[in-house]
Amino acid sequence: MVHFVNVTMAYGSHIVIDKLNLHVEEGQLVVLIGPSGCGKTTTLQLINRLIKPTEGDILVNRQNIKNVDPVELRRKVGYVIQEIGLFPHMTIKQNIEIVPRLLGWDEERKAARTEELIQLVNLDRKYLKRYPSELSGGQQQRIGLLRALAVEPPIILMDEPFGALDPITRESLQNEIVALQKRLKKTIVFVTHDMDEAIKIADRIVLMKDGKIVQAAASKELLSNPANEFVEQFIGRHRLYSGKADTVADVMSDEIVCAEKTLSLIEAVALMRHKKVPGLFVIDDTKKLQGKVSIEQIRKSELSEQDALETIGIEQICPAFENQSAREVFDRMEAEKIDALPVVDEANTVIGVVTRSSIVRSLAEVVWGNQS
Amino acid sequence: MSSFLTELSRNSHAVLIAIGQHIGLSAVAILLGILVAVPVGVLLTYHTRAAKIVLGIFSVVNTIPSIVLLGFAMIFLGIGYIPATIVLFVYSLLPIMRGTYTGIKEVNPNALKAAKGMGMNRPQMLRLVQFPLAMPAIITGIRLSTIYIISWATLAAFIGGGGLGDLIWMGLQSYNFHLVLCGAVPVTILSLLVSFLLNHLIKRASRHKGKEVAT
Ligand SMILES: Nc1ncnc2c1ncn2[C@@H]1O[C@H](COP(=O)(O)OP(=O)(O)OP(=O)(O)O)[C@@H](O)[C@H]1O
Ligand SMILES: [Mg+2]
Repeated sequence: MVHFVNVTMAYGSHIVIDKLNLHVEEGQLVVLIGPSGCGKTTTLQLINRLIKPTEGDILVNRQNIKNVDPVELRRKVGYVIQEIGLFPHMTIKQNIEIVPRLLGWDEERKAARTEELIQLVNLDRKYLKRYPSELSGGQQQRIGLLRALAVEPPIILMDEPFGALDPITRESLQNEIVALQKRLKKTIVFVTHDMDEAIKIADRIVLMKDGKIVQAAASKELLSNPANEFVEQFIGRHRLYSGKADTVADVMSDEIVCAEKTLSLIEAVALMRHKKVPGLFVIDDTKKLQGKVSIEQIRKSELSEQDALETIGIEQICPAFENQSAREVFDRMEAEKIDALPVVDEANTVIGVVTRSSIVRSLAEVVWGNQS
Repeated sequence: MSSFLTELSRNSHAVLIAIGQHIGLSAVAILLGILVAVPVGVLLTYHTRAAKIVLGIFSVVNTIPSIVLLGFAMIFLGIGYIPATIVLFVYSLLPIMRGTYTGIKEVNPNALKAAKGMGMNRPQMLRLVQFPLAMPAIITGIRLSTIYIISWATLAAFIGGGGLGDLIWMGLQSYNFHLVLCGAVPVTILSLLVSFLLNHLIKRASRHKGKEVAT
C-alpha cells in the first residue's frame, strides 16, 4: 500500500532520512519507533507529501505520489498530528466534520457520521457543541483521532496519538485501534516512543535510528531476535525473550548438593555443615538420583560414623523434570512445603536443583533483565 | 450647564446635520480602509520583508501630526470633503493592516499543520482557519482606526470636510464655549459608542477562547 524506494530527505546538508526502503502492506498496522529526532515524523509526512523527498520515490496505492495532487492525496490519507492541532475556533462537531465539509458532504450525512464516530471513543454527545479549549488533553486527542477517521480513509497516519493520555484511556484506545484495524482493514502507520504500545498493537515494528531502519520485523521476531545491541537496548532487556521462566530448566540452578550413597555418615554431616544445607540428595556412581537424607535422620540413627549413607534408609522422592512446566513445580513446592527439589533428565540423571531462591532469581531476570 | 442645553437646542438642527456628516466622513474613510488594509495585511503575511517595509512606512506616516497632513492635502488636493476623506483613509490603514498581519501570523502553527494535513488548499486555509482565528486582532485594529478617525475627523473641518469639527471651529472663532461643547460632546459619545460596539464584536469573535477574553 505504501512503498518507500530509496528515499532520502535532507535539510541542507543535514540528512534526516537516509536511503529508506520500506513497504507497508495493505491492512497492516506498522509502528515506527525510535529515539527522538530519528525521523519518524518526517517519514509520516513524506507519505502525505507535507514534506518532499530530496531523492527517491514514494508509492501510495501503486501510484507515485509525485504525480498526485497533494491536496487530493491528503484528503484520502487520515492524519493525526503529534500536537493534536484541533481548530480552536471550531466546535468539536465542526472539527470532526472538517474533511467531510471539504469533500462537500451534506449536513445529514455529516451529522450521521459524527454520531457514529463519537460513540467509537466513549465521549458524551454534549461535547460536540463545545470548543477544544473546554476539553481535557486526552479528550482533545480522541477528537483528533476521530477527525482523521471521519471519511474512512484507507490509509491513516498517526503521530504519537496517545502521548498525552492517562494509562487507562490509552489502553482502551489502543484496543480500539487494533479492533478498528481488524474490522475496517485500514492500513495504519503509527508513530510512538512507547515500546509496550508498539508490542501491543503492531503487526510490524520498524525501529529507526538516524534516519535509517535498524530492524523491521513482527514484534515476536524483534523480541526474540534483536538485530544488534542498539535494538536490544531500545527494546529494553527485560522485554527480550531470552529471560524466560517457562520450564524447570529456566528456573533451576546447577548448584546442587549431592552425596554418593557410599559416602560415610561423618563425611555427609561435614558436607552439610560446609554447604550450610539441612539435607543431601543421594546419587549413585552414575549420578542417578536415589533419594534424600536429612541431618535429623542421621542424628537420630544408631549407626556408626563410618557406615555408608545407603544403610540409613534413603527417603524416596519424586524429582522435577527439566522440561516440566516451572509453574507446576512451583505449585507443588508451595503445597508440600518443599524447599528444594532435584531436577533430573529422562535418564534420571541429576542435573540441577530448583529452590525458592533459584525461582526468584529467574523471575527477577525476566522482569529486570539479565544483570550479570 | 443649562446654557449649554439652550445652545444645543438652539442649534439642534445644525448639530444633527454635523453628526450625520461626521459619521458619513468617518464611515467612508474606515470602510475604504478596511477594504484596502485587510487584503494588503493578508498579502503581507506571505512576504515578511515586504511587510516590514510597508508597515514601517505607514508607521512614519502615522506619526506626522494630522493637521500637517491635512495641510498638505489642502495644498495638493484642494479643500472639501474628498481631500478630508483621503487623509482620514490613509490614517486608518496602519492599525488595520497591522492587526490583520499579526493576527494571521500568530495563528497557532499546529492548527495550520493540521489544516494542511487534512487537505485544505490555500484559500480554504485562509477562509476556514487563518481568518477566523485572526478576527479578534483584525477587529481590534479596526476599533483603533475608528477611534482615531472619529477624533481626527473634527480636524477635517479645517479643510472644509464638514462634520462636528465645524461647530468646534466656529465656537473657537466666536469665543462661544457652549458651541464648542455642541461639537465636542457628540464626538466623545460617538467614540465611546463605537468602541463599545466593537469591543462586543471582539468578544464574540474570541468566544472560543473560553474564559480568557481579549481586550
Ligand atoms: N523544518 C526543519 N528544518 C530542519 N531540520 C528539521 C526540520 N524538521 C525536522 N528537522 C530535523 O529532522 C530530524 C528528524 O525530525 P523528526 O521530526 O522526523 O523526528 P521524530 O523522530 O519525529 O522525533 P520525535 O520523536 O521527537 O517527534 C531531527 O533531527 C530534526 O531536528
Ligand atoms: Mg515526531
